[in-house]
Amino acid sequence: MISINIAIVKRKKPLPKWLIPLLSLISGILTSLLILYVVSHGSINPLDVLIAIGNSITQPNLLLKNYAMLLVIGCGLLISFKAAIWNIGGEGQFYFAVIGAAWFALYSGLAEIPIINKFLMIALGLTTALIWILIAALIRGYIGLDEVPVTLLMNYIAYNIVDYLVNNHWREQVYRYTRTPTIPVETWFTNIPFTNATLELLLITLVTILLTWIILNYTYIGLFIRTMGSNPNVLKTIGVDVSKTIIYVLIISGLLIGLAGVSYLAGDTHLISSPVIAHTPYYGYTGILVAWLSLLELKYLFVTTYIVSALINAGINIQIVGVGGASIVNLMIGSILLTYTILFVFHEYSVKIIIKK
Amino acid sequence: MIDILSIILNTCPLFIAYQIASIGHSVVEKSGVLNLAIDGLFVLAISVSFMQAVYSGNDILSSILLSIVVTLLIGLFIVFISTKLPVSQGAIGLSIMFICYGLAGILGVPARSHQGSTGLKIGFNIQQNIVYSTIALVLTILLTILIHVIIEKTKLGIAIRACGENPLHAEALGVNVLRIRLIAGAIGYGLIGLSAGLFELLYSRLWREGHGMGHGWIVLAISLSSGRNPLLCLATTFLFSTLYEYRFSLLVFGIPREFIETLPYIVAILSMIIYKTTPLGEKLKPPQYLGKPYFKEERTI
Repeated sequence: MISINIAIVKRKKPLPKWLIPLLSLISGILTSLLILYVVSHGSINPLDVLIAIGNSITQPNLLLKNYAMLLVIGCGLLISFKAAIWNIGGEGQFYFAVIGAAWFALYSGLAEIPIINKFLMIALGLTTALIWILIAALIRGYIGLDEVPVTLLMNYIAYNIVDYLVNNHWREQVYRYTRTPTIPVETWFTNIPFTNATLELLLITLVTILLTWIILNYTYIGLFIRTMGSNPNVLKTIGVDVSKTIIYVLIISGLLIGLAGVSYLAGDTHLISSPVIAHTPYYGYTGILVAWLSLLELKYLFVTTYIVSALINAGINIQIVGVGGASIVNLMIGSILLTYTILFVFHEYSVKIIIKK
Repeated sequence: MIDILSIILNTCPLFIAYQIASIGHSVVEKSGVLNLAIDGLFVLAISVSFMQAVYSGNDILSSILLSIVVTLLIGLFIVFISTKLPVSQGAIGLSIMFICYGLAGILGVPARSHQGSTGLKIGFNIQQNIVYSTIALVLTILLTILIHVIIEKTKLGIAIRACGENPLHAEALGVNVLRIRLIAGAIGYGLIGLSAGLFELLYSRLWREGHGMGHGWIVLAISLSSGRNPLLCLATTFLFSTLYEYRFSLLVFGIPREFIETLPYIVAILSMIIYKTTPLGEKLKPPQYLGKPYFKEERTI
């Protein structure tokens, strides 16, 4: 009788770190193309999808908005994931920032004050995002409930709260469409010619990257974050309040994601449409992919975000020609994440198949 | 009395789906495999059963069977990878969730178009049918008891729990961890596939893109707040299915529809908090090795 065993053997020298995301991107895209071809009985041509991805990669001006948005959200998630705190509720935090910013722009009466109006709008967006993330942070920090189901379930609650506002108090009154009125032009971010991004978004992105770099490398909380990700017991041993650290980590993460939320309203949509679940660009979820693929290293985040932005744009292009759209993007995100998770094992280990007679 | 009967009859299809899914999820996690793919699997299985029902002219049996087979295959893949490789089970679960969301749309959209062109109605309405509802409820309760007995009173159940508590100790006692986890996965994911098929064909009987999203998380909350105990799941499932089914009755109190929609999710979080902060959480602790990597590393070549 033949028995087949799989042995995991530690490598003497780990594979280069950059190789894993590269391999997972290639294998993830190929896997999803294969799945698409099979389940669509050949109606989705893998070549069309590859051409769409190729076209997207070579048009950086059209990627800039998604690239900047995902960089900001990626930084927020990177901070939380580095501490092994799995903030999957980016969508909720994103939309709570949108709520704060929208209220300021539409109903505060301060939207037309030049210069400071945008700062105030950002501040209010961050405040509402803070309130939202604080709920999850306190539950995780003081009750110890796993943050994954809590933050995920909170996304659905956030969607409904936004829908409530849009369908009722904030509904535009002219045609009674299920959306808010357009926010005043004074609060719009300034478009950069020949791109789909805004000047303020780019500034926010630069500030976010700088903040993330400083927090992680030059602050106590950054040290705690890195330590907590590798060994939380060390923090307890040296007398650090782990609960408080978890709360701080989630707050920083949620606030950075909130910055993206405000930018989305002021620089992209200028209104909120209901139902949110049908209109969301899913940045909160895509950010997970970006952060994961970066190996939780800021320097790799720039590359992975670019590739993921291209994938999103490819998905949009495919949707326009009517092949599949959001489902294809989900499939690709999942396939790349899956292959990445599996391939990451080979960074430190090799797998040997042993056949014994 | 009539009101209670009416509530039970109305809630029956959703109760059955939630209960079977939550005991399935419990069995998987009892073996130490973290099942964060549940929402995606649920959404995909719903889409698969819808697709098969549309293309087979509403053949309920084959639709549910296909739903079980698809969920089972993906589930066994999750179990195999999570047990054999030192991977993050959370990452595996979430990535499978995304894949399932994508596949659900790709499979469901053409079937929806086909249904639109044929006008075929799918599923089978057991709501308010006292005979069918009673049979379905009794079978679900019997299935729950059977799973409880398997987990608590049989050698297989002891092995499943041992793999969840400490697979290294289980292995030292002669348990083949992979085999036991695959068996638990086959039972658990099979039940999740069955429940999603029943959800689609007995409860919702329609499909649109994203249909079923969020229900998997409710199932996770039911299972978690019941300490992954199938019998306790009965009570929690009844609470959630009644709440979900009757949530719009709250409209008469002037509560907006959108807030009512959030109720199942709020109650899900609250129930997990109650579980965590009361003696129940201490009594029904999660498996110690849940989500932790278990693999045999060969140190020499």
